[in-house]
Amino acid sequence: MHNLLRAYRGLFRANVAIAFTYRAQAVIWMLSFVFPLVMLAVWLAVVDQAGPVGGYNRGDFISYYLVGAVLYRFVLMGLTYHWDHEIRTGELSVRLLKPLDPFHYYLSEQLGWKVLDLLILVPLALVAALLIPGVHYALSPARLLAFVFSVVLGMTINVCISSAFGMIAFWTTQSRNLFELWSGIGQFLSGFIAPLPLFPLFMQRVAAVLPFRNSVGLPVDILMGRVGWAATGQGLLVGALWALGACMIYRVLWRLGLRRYEAVGA
Amino acid sequence: MAISVQQLTKSYRVHHKEAGLRSSLRNLFARRYELVEAVKQVSFEVAQGEIVGFLGPNGAGKTTTLKCLAGLLHPNAGSAEVLGFTPHNRERAFLKQITLVMGQRNQLLWDLPAMETFLVNQAIYGVPEREFRATLQELVALLGLEPLLTKQVRKLSLGERMKCELAASLLHRPRVLFLDEPTLGLDVTAQAAIRDFLRAYNQQYAVTVLLTSHYMADVTALAKRVLVIDHGELKYDGDLHALVEQTAPYKLLRLTLQQPVDSADLTRLGEIESLNGLEVTLRVPRDATKLVMAQVLASLPVEDVMIEEPPIEQIIRDVFQHGASYA
Amino acid sequence: MHAYLRLLTIFYRNAIINELEYRLNLWSRLLLSLFWLGWSAVGVSVFYVHVDRIAGWSYYELLVVLGMFVITNGFRQLVLEPNLSQMTEYVRMGTLDYILTKPVNSQFMVSLRNLNIFSLNEPLLGAGLIGYSLWHLRHLPSPAAFALFGLLTIAALLVLYSLNLLLQTLTFWLVNLENADALVGSVVEAGRLPVAFYGGWVRWALTAFIPVAFVTTFPAEALLGRLDGRIAVVAVVLAALLLLAATTFWNVALRSYTSASS
Repeated sequence: MHNLLRAYRGLFRANVAIAFTYRAQAVIWMLSFVFPLVMLAVWLAVVDQAGPVGGYNRGDFISYYLVGAVLYRFVLMGLTYHWDHEIRTGELSVRLLKPLDPFHYYLSEQLGWKVLDLLILVPLALVAALLIPGVHYALSPARLLAFVFSVVLGMTINVCISSAFGMIAFWTTQSRNLFELWSGIGQFLSGFIAPLPLFPLFMQRVAAVLPFRNSVGLPVDILMGRVGWAATGQGLLVGALWALGACMIYRVLWRLGLRRYEAVGA
Repeated sequence: MAISVQQLTKSYRVHHKEAGLRSSLRNLFARRYELVEAVKQVSFEVAQGEIVGFLGPNGAGKTTTLKCLAGLLHPNAGSAEVLGFTPHNRERAFLKQITLVMGQRNQLLWDLPAMETFLVNQAIYGVPEREFRATLQELVALLGLEPLLTKQVRKLSLGERMKCELAASLLHRPRVLFLDEPTLGLDVTAQAAIRDFLRAYNQQYAVTVLLTSHYMADVTALAKRVLVIDHGELKYDGDLHALVEQTAPYKLLRLTLQQPVDSADLTRLGEIESLNGLEVTLRVPRDATKLVMAQVLASLPVEDVMIEEPPIEQIIRDVFQHGASYA
Repeated sequence: MHAYLRLLTIFYRNAIINELEYRLNLWSRLLLSLFWLGWSAVGVSVFYVHVDRIAGWSYYELLVVLGMFVITNGFRQLVLEPNLSQMTEYVRMGTLDYILTKPVNSQFMVSLRNLNIFSLNEPLLGAGLIGYSLWHLRHLPSPAAFALFGLLTIAALLVLYSLNLLLQTLTFWLVNLENADALVGSVVEAGRLPVAFYGGWVRWALTAFIPVAFVTTFPAEALLGRLDGRIAVVAVVLAALLLLAATTFWNVALRSYTSASS
């Protein structure tokens, strides 16, 4: 465990440094928030025209998308792409000779970017929250704690699931495409596109039992005080079960895939 | 003259980046730049049909000079002329007569057989079909490409890839070849094959070749004339063998002894370069070689004696390390 | 001109041979394109669960704009992404050096050298969506409207290309700009919807500053027969000016590249 932490510190430093070197890229990448803003703009037009929609007024929408857009970027994990690339090109072989599970290289790279996220996006979001009229959150120590917990849970789920999708690369070339499909569905059912309560009822029911909601919808709702404690607990439990399940699937596929990889001698 | 370079000077800015998070953060706001003079007032001329090798350590300015001549870099001062053109204007007529091969760079289409790249280059250079077929046939024969043509480039070995790279670069029959480390990373046989090809090609078509290489063997095998560049300055321009004579005023005497001798007896004759049982190598002054040779035969129990030029790698290394004087 | 056409034929023949190696991918990309098309159409329908019209646009009128978005975005993936977006890579890998030593216009080479034929289906799907929406609206555009639409679509593509070239040319100074196409992509995202949906300064910015309105809204309006003719003139002039600006900038940058790089 101690060694792992030390390895992370090294990898982390390098990756944060890499992320910072690409400063121009970082600026541009920050601008890639347009989609949620587009959705927000339309909701505002709708509210101006027809009044509050499904219990969301102007301030509610802004509060929702402000946190939701940042969260989605932050919680999203693209480990599938690392796995897929390294398995298909055979670069995984080199990793396998190192004393550290390749997983950690990819994760630390992703986390390096998340540090950049935190340092740049959170201050921006805070300033926006303070300056824009009508933005409001139900802040209490307990809620903040639940919020942080649900965000970490969301990240864990995404780490495991994106890795599990990466494992598919051992068998077919379609792992990226499958993950894209999964992410696309997730953008609906996570609440990234719009607050889940504004979707038809059956979609809300489906979303409640799938892992996506932990990425955006649940944490934002916790922060905005839109869910009670019972519903919060239920949501976190569903998330925890998914995290566990996804992690197990990933590890099992890893063992099977590795055996195959070594047999083929790629 | 195929190439004429006068007082060529090229400098550029590089930015510094230290390790660590703090400097990364600092870099985010302010970058420190430094002006590097890559090439300083270099002048030389190359005749059509000549092969000239660039020698110099990494970062000496070899590649920069080559890029200036290929038209990829504007010189800051001085002038360069290649085939009567100013390279950095990159006129079509100029580009059609030159070619650039970079050992560590790749221009072949990765996922397709090399033949597809050849066809692309045919179109790019506007080579008429019949001429293209003829040239291709020759290159295929010279380089032994026949079995490679239909294989995907990414499945070729490094050496095979470089052969295809050369063929792709020569299809338009350029008159001037700029070769930047063409044998980089290749194994000894592949290096030799590339070398043999270049020599044969040069003899057959009298093309002008400018070559940089880490491998001294490339330069010694191909170029009679070398340009030594160090820290951006032209230190030597002339015959390779003359360079050896000037900078290494000694020869090597390799002795095989019948029985061990006292090393004091050896030091009297010359500086001991190596002593390995009965095998001895002595450094002796160039003009005293014959004299020492006679002494050796008279005073030592020798089985065999050979006089050798010191290996050129070593000479060059000496030159760069000790800043030996160039005449 | 003829020589360049010949070059394109050879380039794209290669692109096709190249991609046919991955037939499975061709099919799965087609399926994914269909998926994203549905995704977009369903995504914007969430508004219409709550209202019938937004800023004067009904759902199916909106889908015409969306179809235009899919077409232009498809063009971006088809032509811009495999070429201009590779600029950083070109600079880093020395490919640009090779391109510059070739006796062919360098802007042509960096703009049209490759083709991502996987994305060939996107513009077709976009056109399909437009057709479907028009059928739903029981609206058959006049020949004049079709001609205007064609003209504005060409202008739209030129605008997109020029913006991309301007941005990618910055690579010469800012070494790591791999996500520049993500920037263009995300700005174009705003074109999923008619500019009328956006309030105040955003609408103004999307029309005048980042001409997203010219990329999707105006061509769609031309097809729906509600476009002011004067805007068409502005669109053509804008496209021409941007193209000129981008080409000039490219040439300036090239001069700087050859005088600055190592």
